[in-house]
Amino acid sequence: MRRIYSVLFPAVVATIGLAVIFASCGPVAAAEKPIVIGGSLPLTGQFAETGVWIERGMKFWAQEINAKGGLLGRPVVFKIYDDESNVGKAVTFAEKAITVDKVDLLFGGYPGTASRAVMPVAEKHKYVYVSMGGHLKSFEQGYQYSFGGPPLLGEWWYEGFFQWLETVPPEQRPKKAAVYTMNNPIGASLIESIQKWTKKLGIEVVVDEKYNLPLPDASSLIVKAKQMNCDILFANGFFADGVMMVRAAKAMEYNPKAIVQGIGSVVPAWIKELGPDGDFVFSGTVLHHKLKYPGNDRLNEFVKKEYELDGYPVYFGFGYAWMDTLTQAVEGAKSLDQTKIRDWLRTNKVNSICGPIKFDEKGLPDPINFCTQIIKGQVELIWPKDVRTAEPAYPKPAWGKN
Amino acid sequence: MNTVLVVQSLISGVIMGAVYALLGVGFSLSWGVMKVINISHAAFGLIGAFIAYGMLKLWGVDPIVSLAVTVPFLFVAACLVYRVLILPVTRAKEVIVSSMILTFGVAIILENLLLLLWGPDPRLLTTSYSTRVLILGPFYFQYPQLAGFLMSAAGVALIHLFLSKTYTGKAVRAAWQQPEAAQLCGVNLKRISTITFGIAVASAGAGGVGLAFLYSFEPHAHNLWLIYLFLVVIVGGVGNVLGTAAAGVIIGVITGLSLAFLPYQWVNLLTFGLLMVILVLRPEGLFRSEV
Repeated sequence: MRRIYSVLFPAVVATIGLAVIFASCGPVAAAEKPIVIGGSLPLTGQFAETGVWIERGMKFWAQEINAKGGLLGRPVVFKIYDDESNVGKAVTFAEKAITVDKVDLLFGGYPGTASRAVMPVAEKHKYVYVSMGGHLKSFEQGYQYSFGGPPLLGEWWYEGFFQWLETVPPEQRPKKAAVYTMNNPIGASLIESIQKWTKKLGIEVVVDEKYNLPLPDASSLIVKAKQMNCDILFANGFFADGVMMVRAAKAMEYNPKAIVQGIGSVVPAWIKELGPDGDFVFSGTVLHHKLKYPGNDRLNEFVKKEYELDGYPVYFGFGYAWMDTLTQAVEGAKSLDQTKIRDWLRTNKVNSICGPIKFDEKGLPDPINFCTQIIKGQVELIWPKDVRTAEPAYPKPAWGKN
Repeated sequence: MNTVLVVQSLISGVIMGAVYALLGVGFSLSWGVMKVINISHAAFGLIGAFIAYGMLKLWGVDPIVSLAVTVPFLFVAACLVYRVLILPVTRAKEVIVSSMILTFGVAIILENLLLLLWGPDPRLLTTSYSTRVLILGPFYFQYPQLAGFLMSAAGVALIHLFLSKTYTGKAVRAAWQQPEAAQLCGVNLKRISTITFGIAVASAGAGGVGLAFLYSFEPHAHNLWLIYLFLVVIVGGVGNVLGTAAAGVIIGVITGLSLAFLPYQWVNLLTFGLLMVILVLRPEGLFRSEV
């Protein structure tokens, strides 16, 4: 009996001791387990420039939140795949992140065509997907887990510009428009608002052409616009074709009252590479480093220190803003449960760097669009008036006269 | 008919085609002479563009002057690549397939090196004459386009002269036409192949600078350029320098006319439709395949 006791007693003590150790260590270990956030970005290929800026914005967010003690008290880490600007790969990596890596959260991708394709994947696996979305139609599919936080919709892109143009006295507005649009979903999404607004403002669209990328040459496009006396040019394309049009316009002394450029003019390379020739181009944006909403100053401070930039690039802002929206939802829901996060987003307001946003049943906020114009190498806010950072240059000075 | 639009479109098309021709002749040479389909050819062209860009930004060197550095540098680099990587592959049974796979890898390595050195940002060659223009009546000739065109014409002419007038050039042609007979006559095939590959890649560097005059470029731009390379070489006839040059101009004319007469979204359909038709009707290209 005594022998049994002498064996049992240390065993019981050891078991209790181990239980105490595990009980005390358990929560700490769990608390330290990082939250893994996965997905893909176009880090190489056609959209790499943008993808890299989104990644930088996301990593700044991670750095910031980890410095504050993490999300729900846990550090955050990314598992980022390079989809090589390939939509098919973006879908594959989203599936992989969810089913193989079993990530805690999904992050938003780029461009719209990739986000649009990932949205049904997120929906299938009931993962909250905060992204730019893939044009308005992607938010009209009845998805419950997708949110544009903030979105980047071609359908809204020129809203700010047209709202400003409406304030220009009718006799000073352009009379004839040339509209050149890249033949892809991003380009197509811009057309609807151009048609709606040109009709409303009495502007006749005399040239309306689509082109397939890559655009071999812009000279003939500009010749046509010039011959038709178009006094406003919509160049609805990316950087490469946008640059070709601007350079051809200058070479051929084509001087419309306004040049409106879609996506290409929002990347930093536009100003850096085109210099003064890139000036006076109108565009739109959802985010801007000169907005006064909380958070913008921190982003600006970071890019100044890290990249020697005077303001954060738009896509850096997007990378940050999508993660920030997800943060507020996770912290609001106090959980990583996807349905709880979704429900929180559906019922609460998010304070984003582009202002407060509240999602509707489609997962979209009210239309957000600021009109921008490049003036003296700076992307300035033109409209709405309360955020204006510079007076619009209209009509555009003739080439070489600015 | 809108004459100004047609002529202006033709001018731009011919210039574009000529620049692709310069990039294409080297591709055609290595394909024709060595049976090496060099998938990394356009990536080497891109290196030429980046060297020109770097020299312009750092020291204000004109891109055309930068060719004095780019061409020899790429020639030497290509000779090394050929000796170390490609030569062993040319002994394989299926040289064309093996070389494609190998040079595909080289292209990926070059692209990633460029990404590492330059980042993914798009670049523009902005010289003092970037937006200057020569106006002849109602027609506009942009200086950078003219520079690209003249450079291409000179490059193609030099390669043609080299092949037809120099001993080494004649040896290259002999190696292409009758390798065994050339070897019997004392032609060192290994040396000739190395030189041919060097010239091919060096001309790609010049072609890359030519394209950089016309278009923005970033480290993955070579993938797009490569598509046009296949187009000009297949249309022009593999190994045919003047054929490739003519094909470049023909494709430029077709593109220009399409831009003038058709909706813009039809241009690529028409151009690559032409490639299909030529492949079906004249698989050897429009011109006889010879160096």
